[in-house]
Amino acid sequence: MTTTAPTRATHFMVNGDPVEIAGPGGLRLLDALRIDLGLTGTKEGCGEGECGACTVLVDGTPVVSCLVPVGQVEGRDVRTVEGLAEDGRLDPIQAAFVDSGGVQCGICTPGILMSARAFLDSGTEPTDAAIREVIAGNLCRCTGYMKIIDAIANAATTAPRDVRGGLPQVPRELPGPAIRPNVEPGSDVRVGPGFVRPTTLAEAYALLAEGSWRPIAGGTDIMVELAGDAAATDTSLLDLTALEELREIRVDGDRLVIGATATYTDLRRSSLVAAHLPALAEMSGAFGATQLQNMATLGGNVVNASPAGDSLPLILATEAVMVAGGPSGERAIPAAAFFTGYRTTALEPGELLLRIEFPLDARRQLRYRKIGTRRALALAKVALAVTWRQEDGSAAWHDVRVAVGTVTDVPIRAPSAEAVLEGAVAGADVADRAAAAVLLDIHPRDGLRSTAAYRRSATSRVLRRMVLDAMV
Amino acid sequence: MTTQAPVRAPHVTPATPAPSVATPPATSPARRIHDPASDPRSVPRVDAVSKLLGVTRYTDDFVVPGAWHGSTVRATEPHARLLGIERDPDFDWSRVVVLTAADVPGENVIHLMKDDQPVLAADEICHIGEPVALVAAPTLALAHAARDHIRLRTEPLPAVTDILAADHVFVGYTIARGDLEAGFAEADLVIEGTYRVGHQEHIYIETQGMIAVPRSDGGVTVHGSMQCPYYAQAAMKRALGLDAEHCVVVQEETGGAFGGKEEYPSGLAIHAAMLALAVGRPVRLIYDRHEDISVSTKRHPAVVTHRTGVTRDGRLIAQDIDVTFDAGAYATLSSVVLSRGTLHAGGPYACPNVRIRSRAVQTHTPPTGAFRGFGAPQTEFAAEMQVNRIAETLGVSPAELRARWAYQVGDQTPTQQVLHESVSARETLAAALKASDFEGRRIAFAAARTVDRAVGGARTAPGIGVALGWHGAGFTGGGETYLASIAAVELTADGRVCALSDQTEMGQGMRTVFAQIVSDRLGIPFEDVDVVRQDTSVVPNSGPTVASRTTMVVGGLLALAADRLRAAVEERSPGPFAATYADVARTHGAIRFDEQFTGYPNITWDDATYVGDAYPAFSWAAATVEVEVDLDTGEVAVRHVVSADDCGTVINPLMAAGQVEGGSLQAVGYATIEEMKLKDGRHLNDRLSKYLIPTSLDAPKITAVLVENPFSSAPHGAKGLGELPMDVVAPAVVAAIHDATGVWIHELPATPERILAALDAAGRDAQEARS
Repeated sequence: MTTTAPTRATHFMVNGDPVEIAGPGGLRLLDALRIDLGLTGTKEGCGEGECGACTVLVDGTPVVSCLVPVGQVEGRDVRTVEGLAEDGRLDPIQAAFVDSGGVQCGICTPGILMSARAFLDSGTEPTDAAIREVIAGNLCRCTGYMKIIDAIANAATTAPRDVRGGLPQVPRELPGPAIRPNVEPGSDVRVGPGFVRPTTLAEAYALLAEGSWRPIAGGTDIMVELAGDAAATDTSLLDLTALEELREIRVDGDRLVIGATATYTDLRRSSLVAAHLPALAEMSGAFGATQLQNMATLGGNVVNASPAGDSLPLILATEAVMVAGGPSGERAIPAAAFFTGYRTTALEPGELLLRIEFPLDARRQLRYRKIGTRRALALAKVALAVTWRQEDGSAAWHDVRVAVGTVTDVPIRAPSAEAVLEGAVAGADVADRAAAAVLLDIHPRDGLRSTAAYRRSATSRVLRRMVLDAMV
Repeated sequence: MTTQAPVRAPHVTPATPAPSVATPPATSPARRIHDPASDPRSVPRVDAVSKLLGVTRYTDDFVVPGAWHGSTVRATEPHARLLGIERDPDFDWSRVVVLTAADVPGENVIHLMKDDQPVLAADEICHIGEPVALVAAPTLALAHAARDHIRLRTEPLPAVTDILAADHVFVGYTIARGDLEAGFAEADLVIEGTYRVGHQEHIYIETQGMIAVPRSDGGVTVHGSMQCPYYAQAAMKRALGLDAEHCVVVQEETGGAFGGKEEYPSGLAIHAAMLALAVGRPVRLIYDRHEDISVSTKRHPAVVTHRTGVTRDGRLIAQDIDVTFDAGAYATLSSVVLSRGTLHAGGPYACPNVRIRSRAVQTHTPPTGAFRGFGAPQTEFAAEMQVNRIAETLGVSPAELRARWAYQVGDQTPTQQVLHESVSARETLAAALKASDFEGRRIAFAAARTVDRAVGGARTAPGIGVALGWHGAGFTGGGETYLASIAAVELTADGRVCALSDQTEMGQGMRTVFAQIVSDRLGIPFEDVDVVRQDTSVVPNSGPTVASRTTMVVGGLLALAADRLRAAVEERSPGPFAATYADVARTHGAIRFDEQFTGYPNITWDDATYVGDAYPAFSWAAATVEVEVDLDTGEVAVRHVVSADDCGTVINPLMAAGQVEGGSLQAVGYATIEEMKLKDGRHLNDRLSKYLIPTSLDAPKITAVLVENPFSSAPHGAKGLGELPMDVVAPAVVAAIHDATGVWIHELPATPERILAALDAAGRDAQEARS
């Protein structure tokens, strides 16, 4: 068996030039760009993937570089703000920002330009709604977004423009070791989380068996955790993104099978998901914002098992099956047995989540609703999934399942609400009764994001609305 | 509308001003600008291209060879006696420098106003996050490790963390006009209300950061993100015991500030400088977002109580207002924040009998400070809420009541200031009402809600609200005269025209606006004016970049200095300045004019009694806001904001509109989702994943209508703008929520939690009423 060695150096393209970054692959792409390559146009605003100031394109896809371990871009094409203007001319998006007044303090500008460039390259019609969605992962505190939106809308009809005096040379100095944050004290050795990128599952299992490797895919939770952890250099990351079979989306008989490392963007774009489980695509679109959807994976959300995890009520309501793999083979874990406690799951040490299998039934309806503090980049305050089966010609609901997130340590089913809805025909009276019944099932606590009273009231009201909406 | 002919400050050398796009004819009425982008004055900002190319360097972007990294040891208790600072004996301290209060070379104080905040806590800890010790090490990892191996030995003291429980008053004011008792005696209706607002965090996207470089002459130069280089220098001089020549402050490109980089960077500058002087190398002190939110200043929380007397026919005859601001652990800028809050507390309404009492109290929480609006958004929120509730009580349109009460030329404010000119309360209100079709939308929304109810309940309800506001331009009272700012225009020997001031660019557009003002006076292209960078060893002290004073006050000084330069050049060589200045520079060498502020004419102010001209002029704004409230979840979608703003003569309409839009969205966030929760004196929302600001999907459409009503004492007619939109949008949002739902939310932010609780309570009341 060939064994993949931990990353000691990463090679990739930046704005068309090949680069090598020495050090472990668990270093942040953001630091590689800013510190190793002197490409300081990419900014750090939060280090947690929340502000989007560090947005760059990897193979044309916007990602937040503060949450990308540099090892993940091995052999790939990275584009930064410094790569937008070419041949002494501003890119049309840059020219449009000048004309529209889209720049104020300028610190969010590079990240927004990269999100906008990818959007324009996608050929999507630049409507107000589409533009707002595509930059929702880039916070701007100066402009109110109006002139940024104008600029993106106008970019398609703006010509490239010469820069007075030509383009300034982009500095490429390599700073001395003292400026590098990830250097072993007293030496020149880069330190950071170890990183290995196996290409077969067998290798991944073998590494996991060593016990010291921590699986990573999208990185949107782990990299945040590591950023705030002084002992992060002791962590070693086992990157799953080279395992193509884990990213597959397919229909297998009466099941929709989602590979554990399929991203939210994959789910949103999948014609199979759209055809068989549109609520899953809807959930994906409400997750984070563009960059995080491009990075974060359904498997990561499930394994992370946060009670506020967006997908968890859907997993629970659909009675999806988690398929785990290990050296001794695969095993299927039903949703009801998977979430064992606060951020804990039924996965055994040495096991990986391989895929999530959603049972399909053409007679089954599924609805999902998430309430966050804002319309993008928000963790759920309330998340609900409701599913039921209707026989031909009958309005009555059967096999009703109601799942609720964020109300306790684990996502839960709501048996009282299910009992009220079982066999019932959706209507105003039934909706009111379900809304009352669900209050027997949930016992939320006051928290930072919301209050117990709000979670009770909103869960009840939203369930009522979901039942009412099912009437039409 | 009366507009006086421009009056120039008496010390000016008379000069014939050039035909000027920035100075409207003296007799022009207030003008409205609806399409800022097409206005010829909307030149592209001078720093846009370098920012778009990603080559503009902010503090953390600089490579400083050999620099060490600084880190701060902070208190973990709200109030305690500091007994000792202990280093872990098992840690290798050989490559680490540690500094404590005993190492402060000068006075252990961050000089500002009251000088009560230490550079490093010495004996007493007064808030969580208070700096107690500093460390520096060759790497950031080592600096953090060293920080984590320092333990504070403390003895807890009783902590006050609730504004209403606080008993130590830092400062208070009373404003009185007329006969309050007589006013209330005459009133047919007395309406009372108490309104609260919470902390608001600036969330400039660039965090606080400073790099200090020790110099061979024993001095130190700090480079950093800031609004006020001379504040930082003054603080460094005191704490480091050095003179101005040995404390040089250079503002680097600043990625947003909004008041958050007014006074707070002074402490960082001292910290970084102390470390650099101790280590003998440059030291980087860059906060990450978590540290920044945890310890930096916030907008003052406030509790404001109104008692208002009106007659049945809707005349405003008595206002009794009580204001309490939470200053946090130290006084910092609270005396002036409270002053502005107090002066604006009545709202832009003429009232013959007024009493406003206010105080800023100490709590053991991180100090609050400057934030766009500077005390006015808090008290104007309360004032506007009160007007709305009175309109509801009287059964008149909230727009109509405002139009009736709003200040006009000749009216007197609570400080007995007579408003002689440039009063646009009614004009901005009319502009906003017209641009939003306020009354039409109000009727349409009411009809839609009625129809929705009739057909069995709607999922959402639309609503519209309005608010009116004012904002005193420049420093309060005698502040500008006391500052005596100096700005200069220089024709250098090599033929460049330079504008020199310490006003900082933080995104608001100072560089472009100053270039426009100076070039306009000189009749040269604006690209040919070099706005010199803000380095205390180069530029004069033109005062802080705060209080919406930059364009009005310092821009005015530059205009006058440019006039003098033009006259001097044209005296030496006949012909227009533009044609001759290069030759004149070559022949005569450099010519420079420094212009010092000595006061606007006819301004009197008594700081002891709070009587007189509180501000040389006021800016005016009105906003209408449309919302859609989700009746299931209490979520508020703000759909459209129309903000009409009079900032006097507009220098660059596109950039002015950008200020209105950005300020409006900050106010939308303040009104709806920006909530800082505290527990035992600790900010709980201490990450960007926990303190949420609006994204592009949360942002409404914003329509900025600029109203130009020039201020005659400013040579270019400009008043302040930056803070103005912050005053009016939040109360308009809450009014719109009320229009949509029928519930009043008395506390900002109007979160879904508060709205749903109010809707549930209203539902219960209705149920009880039926049964």
